[in-house]
Amino acid sequence: MIGILSTLIFGREGLRKKLAVHGASLLFVAVIFGIIILMLNTRRTEQRELESGVQTYLDLKDVDLGDPVDRAIFRESLQVFFPGRGGQNDSLLSAIDDLRQRQFSNPAYKSGNHLQGLTGAVIAGLSGMYVQFLAVYLVVLVIIYFLAERIGIYRFVKMKQHRESYLAQFSEQVKRFQNPVERKNRMAIERALALILLKATGKGILLAVLFSPAYVIAYAMKTTVDTDSLFFMVLLGVLSNGVLIHTANRFFTLLVAESHKGYVQTAIVKNLAASYEWDTRDGISRRALLSVRKGLGSHVFQHILLNAKYQFIPTLKEHASFLVTGLIIIEMALNIQGHLSYELLQQILYRQYDVACFIIFSIFFTVKATEMGIDIWYEREKRRYGY
Amino acid sequence: MDTSPGKIRGNSWRISGKKDILWLLVWIGGLLVLWVWDALFLNAPAFEKIQTAFLNSLWTGLMVVVLALFFGWFLGVGLQTLERSESTIWYTLASFAIDIIRSVPQIILVLIGYVLLTLLLHEGVIRSTMGQLLWIAFTIAIAVALEVADTVRERINYFRTLDFVDAMLCCGISEQRIVNVEILWKNSRSHLLYKLIAIFGVSIFLQCSIDFIVSVGLSTDVSLSNFPMTLGSLLANVDSKQDILALSNLFTDPGYLPTIVTTHLQGVSVAICIVFTLICVYMIANGFVRRHKLI
Repeated sequence: MIGILSTLIFGREGLRKKLAVHGASLLFVAVIFGIIILMLNTRRTEQRELESGVQTYLDLKDVDLGDPVDRAIFRESLQVFFPGRGGQNDSLLSAIDDLRQRQFSNPAYKSGNHLQGLTGAVIAGLSGMYVQFLAVYLVVLVIIYFLAERIGIYRFVKMKQHRESYLAQFSEQVKRFQNPVERKNRMAIERALALILLKATGKGILLAVLFSPAYVIAYAMKTTVDTDSLFFMVLLGVLSNGVLIHTANRFFTLLVAESHKGYVQTAIVKNLAASYEWDTRDGISRRALLSVRKGLGSHVFQHILLNAKYQFIPTLKEHASFLVTGLIIIEMALNIQGHLSYELLQQILYRQYDVACFIIFSIFFTVKATEMGIDIWYEREKRRYGY
Repeated sequence: MDTSPGKIRGNSWRISGKKDILWLLVWIGGLLVLWVWDALFLNAPAFEKIQTAFLNSLWTGLMVVVLALFFGWFLGVGLQTLERSESTIWYTLASFAIDIIRSVPQIILVLIGYVLLTLLLHEGVIRSTMGQLLWIAFTIAIAVALEVADTVRERINYFRTLDFVDAMLCCGISEQRIVNVEILWKNSRSHLLYKLIAIFGVSIFLQCSIDFIVSVGLSTDVSLSNFPMTLGSLLANVDSKQDILALSNLFTDPGYLPTIVTTHLQGVSVAICIVFTLICVYMIANGFVRRHKLI
């Protein structure tokens, strides 16, 4: 069983090497972050001990060390109890002032987690957030993969249909409108003009949404939609930050590059179906494009599609990394409490760099795990097609 | 000037074949229209802020492009040289390090750069606005330079499969000259330029996002409020956020549009600047690919 699994996963030397490199980089980064976290924890323990000593004086009953009179009495008391240690007494007073200042000005002290560090409770809390982040990430990744393919195919077919741009169509209709021969058809021309304008506006709005950074869309909808919900986050992850359009563009590029290859021209010469008209006998079926599994039969595009899909797999690595960037931006910019990236921002604000390192490592792990998954998938596809 | 129909059709054909130029003109024209509109309807201090923020963002984006080209070229050629050298250890180590950087999401790298910038500001190492913008550009360039390095390596590997590299080597031309001048400068400029256009878009996106995040999430930290004004930080400004929030009124009352474009202009202008720039850069890059037949 283990042998089969091993052959299935580590079937080739190349994959084994790739996975070993991924594993080594994970280990290396884990060790580096581990050392940083340990160093920060040691420093924090020292600071905690120092502060607890100073805090004893701040907790003295009926003594307000912010009051000049109380301060003077405290200084004199120190001189009485510890005579001849003027330097140490001054250092203690300065440490008390320093701590008081931090307690007033540092946001971490105000929130009470200034010396918390990376404890078991913190890790448990972060784990819940991480699972949520991972769930959103996986859902968005799968949706983007399927949507990007469909959009890429649609753009490719449209390109092959040699449709004119909206501007050219509009100008054509205007010419018809001005032509005295077409006077009878004016109503139809006006309708066509309105339709073109509507389509162009729709496309413009869609492009604006797809390219908008997530925070622009979220703030624009904040008063009408619950922007803190997971559903909205998934929606933003898919539609905003340009992730979908760039992934789709990559797939479209692969389709175009594939369609220029010699075997496609040969297939066309040998009379394989090669029309790109919608729903005609030797054309492309709209339904087949929408369904995920269904193929396009003997159409030349079926082969272009399969080859482009195969090449699309490794490119998903960079898109996955960009998607993680997009999700981090969404969580940070929307200030949604209880989310991993928001927590990262808070920990940086509170200078809890050990916790921040832990969160960054978990994000790094996510990207690495995705890369490993994609490498395994690519290798399996490679063997399936006999490359 | 000949404005006969034939001539106009000829010009339109010429421009339709150069969609990148067309979109560049659309971008410049659109921004000019927005500038005139803002000059007419926006109050002077806000108008001043938008101009400063746009110029700072644009300037940073251009610096990112230059730095990314420099780093990417150096990395790509360096890796190629290491790969072909006798000792494989340096190549393995460099590839390993690059593999790690590649797996860190760009926004995290930029965020780390901002944390370091805060420390440098605290220590007084960086003081001027120009210095801060340069540091931000440097950080973003580190995050995106790998894309240029990949293109450089891809092109070198492609040309190595052709006979002309061997022929030049036989003619006694040095390998460095073949790589840097013959392959990259003479035969890969279009590919690199396309990559740099795309990087300009990514840098604007990253810069705006990180500035927005830092302004929203870390605004209580005193030193962070001293960052130079950019489109992202201006969008995070309370006035701009109010303007963007007002956009949701359009869902219930489309007649609110005139009010949006005349009274909520600061936030809306900044958002338009960002989104319109991102769309146009994408279109310019796509048009460039088609014109130069890069696919």
